[in-house]
Formats: sequence, C-alpha cells, structure tokens
Amino acid sequence: MSWFDRFFSGRNSGAAAPSGSEGRLAEWERALQAGGLPSFVESRLREAAAGRAPWLSTMTPVELAMARRHGIRPVAMVSGTCCYHFGQSWTLGHSEGWHLALARLRDEAVAAGANAVVDVKLRTSRLPLRSTMDFTVLGTAVRIDGLPPSDDPVIATVPALEFVRLLQSGIVPTGIAIGAHYNIVSGEKYEMPGRGMINARQGTGQSARQFARQNQPLMDLSEFWEAIRRTAMRELERDTKLQGDGVLAHTHFGQLFKIEKVKAPPQFVGRHIVIGTVVHDRRPGTNAPIELRTVLDMRDDLSPLLAERPHGHNAYPVASEGGPI
Amino acid sequence: MSITNDIPPHAIERLRGLRKEGHPGGIFTSDFSVNEFLLVRKAGFEPIGLCVGTCVYHVGIQYGSWNKNQELDVLSQAMYHARELAMARMRMEAAGMGADGIVGVELTVKRLEWSTDVLEFMAIGTGVVHAKGHPGFMGPKGQPFTSDLSGQDFWTLLHAGYRPLEMVMGSCVYHVAHQGFLKSMGNVGRNVELTNFSQALYDAREIAMERMQHEAIDAGAEGVVGVDLHEGSHAWQAHVIEFFAIGTAVTPISTELDASTIPDPQLVLSVNT
Repeated sequence: MSWFDRFFSGRNSGAAAPSGSEGRLAEWERALQAGGLPSFVESRLREAAAGRAPWLSTMTPVELAMARRHGIRPVAMVSGTCCYHFGQSWTLGHSEGWHLALARLRDEAVAAGANAVVDVKLRTSRLPLRSTMDFTVLGTAVRIDGLPPSDDPVIATVPALEFVRLLQSGIVPTGIAIGAHYNIVSGEKYEMPGRGMINARQGTGQSARQFARQNQPLMDLSEFWEAIRRTAMRELERDTKLQGDGVLAHTHFGQLFKIEKVKAPPQFVGRHIVIGTVVHDRRPGTNAPIELRTVLDMRDDLSPLLAERPHGHNAYPVASEGGPI
Repeated sequence: MSITNDIPPHAIERLRGLRKEGHPGGIFTSDFSVNEFLLVRKAGFEPIGLCVGTCVYHVGIQYGSWNKNQELDVLSQAMYHARELAMARMRMEAAGMGADGIVGVELTVKRLEWSTDVLEFMAIGTGVVHAKGHPGFMGPKGQPFTSDLSGQDFWTLLHAGYRPLEMVMGSCVYHVAHQGFLKSMGNVGRNVELTNFSQALYDAREIAMERMQHEAIDAGAEGVVGVDLHEGSHAWQAHVIEFFAIGTAVTPISTELDASTIPDPQLVLSVNT
C-alpha cells in the first residue's frame, strides 16, 4: 500500500466518521457537553482493550520491560483536553481547567478498561488567545494482570519505571493534586515601604533617594507574596487529603509582577500553582525493600536519568523560576 | 536488490566498501556513542553504515475558514508525505547496504531560509545487520526495520522479548476556529470552558493517533513503544497547529517471553553528582 492509500484508509477506517466532518465535530460537541466520549474514541479504546488493535504507549523499552516484569501491560494512550477561559479568576480557572481535563482522561481510561494511567504529562499548546489556556493531560493507560477493569483508575504523573518502584515499596500512587492561588493588590507601600506616609506627614517618611540607598526588606510585598504561596500549598494539601496521604509535588510555578497605572498606585499581581502525584503509603515508617548499590558513574555529561525528557510537561515554564541560591 | 538504477554511482561505491557479512575488511560508519555501539553489538548486531534520506518539500497553501474547526488536509498530507519520502529513501539506502534494519533514526524538519513554504525533512540512522545472519529481524514486507530507539533502548527492547518493526507516524494539521466577536464579548470577566477550542485540539490529536495506530495495524504490530506527540506550527497562521504522533511499532520476537524471565534491573545510586 502506498503512503497515499494509507493516508486515506487511516481516516476512513472503522466506525470513525471522516475527520473534520460535521458528523465528527457534532459528536465531539455532544461528548463534551454531556460528559461522555465520542463513539470513535470509545471504539478505538475498546479495540485496544480487547487486544484487537495494537497498544500505544509512551513507555520506553526499559519501562516496557520493567512493567511487563511486574504484570503491567500498556493498553492505549489516553488524553483529556479542556480549553479554558479564565476571565474571572486565574486561580479557579487553572484548577478547574486541569480538573476537567483530568476527568476526561479518566473517562478514556475507564473505556480502555484500565487499572491505572501512568506517565501523565501536563501540556499546553499555547494558542494565541488572551486569558485562555489549553489544559491537556496525556498518559498511558495500563492494565495490571489479575485485576478486573477499574471504574476509578489510578492516575499518576510518574513514569512507568517509578510507578513500579513505588508499588514495590508498598506505596500506591492514587491521583493528581493541584493547588493554585492568585491575588492582586495595589498601593505604593508594596514597592517602597513608608512611601505612603510621605504625603500624610509632609516629608517625615523616607524619600525615594533615602530608600534607594538603604538595605531593607519589602515587608508588605513579602507578606502578600508569601500568603499566595501558602494558600496554594494549603489548596494542594486539601486536594491531597481527598485522595491519599501524601503528595510528591513536581511542578511549582509562581509569578509576581507589577502593573503600572496612570495616576494611581501600581498594582501587584501574584500567582502560584503546585501540581503533584498523590500517594497512599500503606506502611508508613517501614523501610523500602530496595537494595541499593553505590556506583561511581564515569560519564562526563549529565546522566540520562537526570536529563530532561524531550516531551515532558510543558504547561508551566518552571525553568524561569530562577536558579539555586 | 535492484536499486542500482536509483542510487548514484558514488553511493554504490560507498556501499561496496562497507562492512558486512562476507566482507569483513570493510569499514562501517555510524553516529553511535561508544556505549550505544557496545550495546548494539551485545544485542548481536553489527553496524554497517549511516543511512540518510532527505526530502525538500514545497508545502501547498490552504487556509481554514475563519470561524470553523477543520483539518487542513492539504497540509496534513504534505507533512506526512514529506516525512514518508525521507524515510523511504533512508530505508532504500539501508536495503542497498543489506541492512536488517536501522536504529537510532532521527527525523528532523527545518524551514529553509528563503521561503516560508519550503521545508526540509531529514531522516538519519545507523543501518545494522544481525551478526549471525539471522533472517527473522526484518521489518514488514522484507524491508529493513526502522526504529527511533537508541542503541541502549534497542538492547533493552530485545531483552524484553520484542523486536522493532517500523516507525509509525500520524500527522494532522488543524485549523482552530476563531471565536465570534459576540461570543468573546460574552466571555469577558467569566470563567468558562471554550468548548470549540477543546474540541478542535482533542479532535486533531485523536486523528493523529488514529492514523499512527492504523499504520501499526498495517505493520502487523502488537504495540507501539515510545510514542511521542509533538505539537508544532511551522510558521503557519496563528490558529493552525500540527499534531504529529510518532513511535516504534514492535512485535514479540517469537512467542511472548514469560514475564519472570525478563531480568529485573539492578537499582544503583550514582554517588558522584
């Protein structure tokens, strides 16, 4: 078969309506509104679950070997997308956006008869839209030998290798927790402590020149920023408590910026989001049954275990957070 | 293999000098690192030569309707066709060398400076041959297998009881509808899901995955490892996005290995950070 035939047979195969057709879009519309899956997605997942279609997996060969060794089989790639406009609240928008996307991923995982979804990545495609983000989660649904299909599969951001390692240690990854907070304040005191008093007391406060020369912490701004981070952490804690008894938070993203106003004090906006894998530790305090050997790695460059994977999370530019102190 | 008509004389010259069975004095070329080289040999294969396929492609023009979610099939086809051509040329070179397959295939797309619609696609990898001449490692239809797995991953895959068949891919270029003015005014100051955008991104990704899966079915694969989903917009309009799925289709070596025979990796802690 030439590439061209393949191209077209791909689009017209099976129960799927032709791509881009009105029928296909109408099915998406219905599915997104009613909270189900379009028939062609469902049939793709069902075929894969029954072993009639090849499984798709983000696993590397090492992960495949390790997973198979422990009776875990990849079934299908599952995803969830939610394009969300946060006109009213960044905080709620981000938390809602991820939760909706996760719910859709879970629907797909259930349709695939999965027990868990591993290697879930948080992605965004950066559409040029204001106050809108596309929240996409993407992972590999797996079946564990000897377990019946689950109607509430475990969702884990950890890759298959780490998933297995956690299970070996008696720790079960149970889901994804999100904590987000956003706040906004306005006032000169955030930028220059005591500045507000200058006008009131006719020059008894410090002048801009004095301020520039002095070392001093910006207490109000620190407090404002700290409160945001703390709230985000509390949210994370609350979300974690619903699903398990611990979280391995891998994604931290915070931004603090200033908005200049005409004839008004400047505004300061801070936002912070934390995302992680929730774990359920059945035997806290027990030592992990892992035998470790120390080795001296003769590599000169970064170990492949530390190197960033090319297509991991891309939703938050974590690297822009600043370097170590 | 009667490919001599398609391959220029200097390339034939090069192929003749390469190492293969019955020609042990030849040299080999590869872009392997030392570790990769050792592991490919440990897996029972010998590298014979770098295989390259290039395709410079003029991508046609297609605009999406401003307010419509739709696949831009002219662009989808272009992106797929160009990659397929580059891969086919690489495979042809490998077949000429007598390779059983190509490992560590890298697929790149580059925009050429002078034009916005000319793209350069390149596929490059190292052709390998089974050291004992085992015939069972060829890809579908007796062609050399292709795989984007590194030498290390190739070794591991064989030890997990699978062999690579071919790289499978699916492409979908999609136009995401713009929102009407009234609709966007209605959303000002509100938190809402923009379902038409969700739907477009979802659909585009689904199509790319379906196409890849279909290729895997054609190849007779049991599964696809290392699937990667790229999103890219190759300087098209702002609302045009390409979803590209790629992975290596695999099949069990003979009968599926019993899980207990797969070696458990040893955990080590590297003490020099």
